[in-house]
Amino acid sequence: MGKIKNRIRRLRFDHNEMTQEELANRAGCTRQTIIALEQGKYVPSIELAFRVARAFGAPLEEVFLYAEENNEIDNPTLPLPKQ
Amino acid sequence: MAPLQKRALYSLVIGLVLTIILVAVLVTQGDITAFDRNLNLRLIMYAVFIGVPLINLILMDISLRKPTQLDERDRLIMERSSKTQWLAVIFSLVAWTITLTEIYRNQGQVPIAFLNLIFVSTLIISTLAQSIGILLGYWSMNRNG
Repeated sequence: MGKIKNRIRRLRFDHNEMTQEELANRAGCTRQTIIALEQGKYVPSIELAFRVARAFGAPLEEVFLYAEENNEIDNPTLPLPKQ
Repeated sequence: MAPLQKRALYSLVIGLVLTIILVAVLVTQGDITAFDRNLNLRLIMYAVFIGVPLINLILMDISLRKPTQLDERDRLIMERSSKTQWLAVIFSLVAWTITLTEIYRNQGQVPIAFLNLIFVSTLIISTLAQSIGILLGYWSMNRNG
């Protein structure tokens, strides 16, 4: 079973310690949803995921990662495995 | 606390206060026929008929229009809470039906005041159940994700 992970906390830090409130305003959601996302307690819709990524000016796959069980992906910039 | 969560809490408190008032009125007046005899009681009841849905509309809808106040996660919790609301309303109506049928079976008729009481209790239960459903939804989502 897979799991959606995200790098929101890290990206906020990289963006001048952007506050959760500011990110929420940019992404058009509540601060509580940002908290839930950071804690991995909520998986966003595709639309919200795009809005969050856009708030950071980053592509979607840089913010959200799909990690399969026993095959965790920590670095989204890693090349895809050879077929 | 999310804006919807806060409002659910306010709504729960209002619902509980109305329940206490309703029970207190019934206890102090003796029985259900007080509503037939007393116009003021009926007027209060009619005010509750209009007031409860109005307060619910203001708390849960009109005051939560901005996306930073109510987003997809809140809407998901709200949708799930409607199941709790529906179940609570159905069970309360079943309880009313069975109770009144068994008590008034021999008379063959139910006092008309019960119509008002059934409606007002359903309104209050619906509001309470929605608030409880929303609060449980947040609790569950924060706990299990």
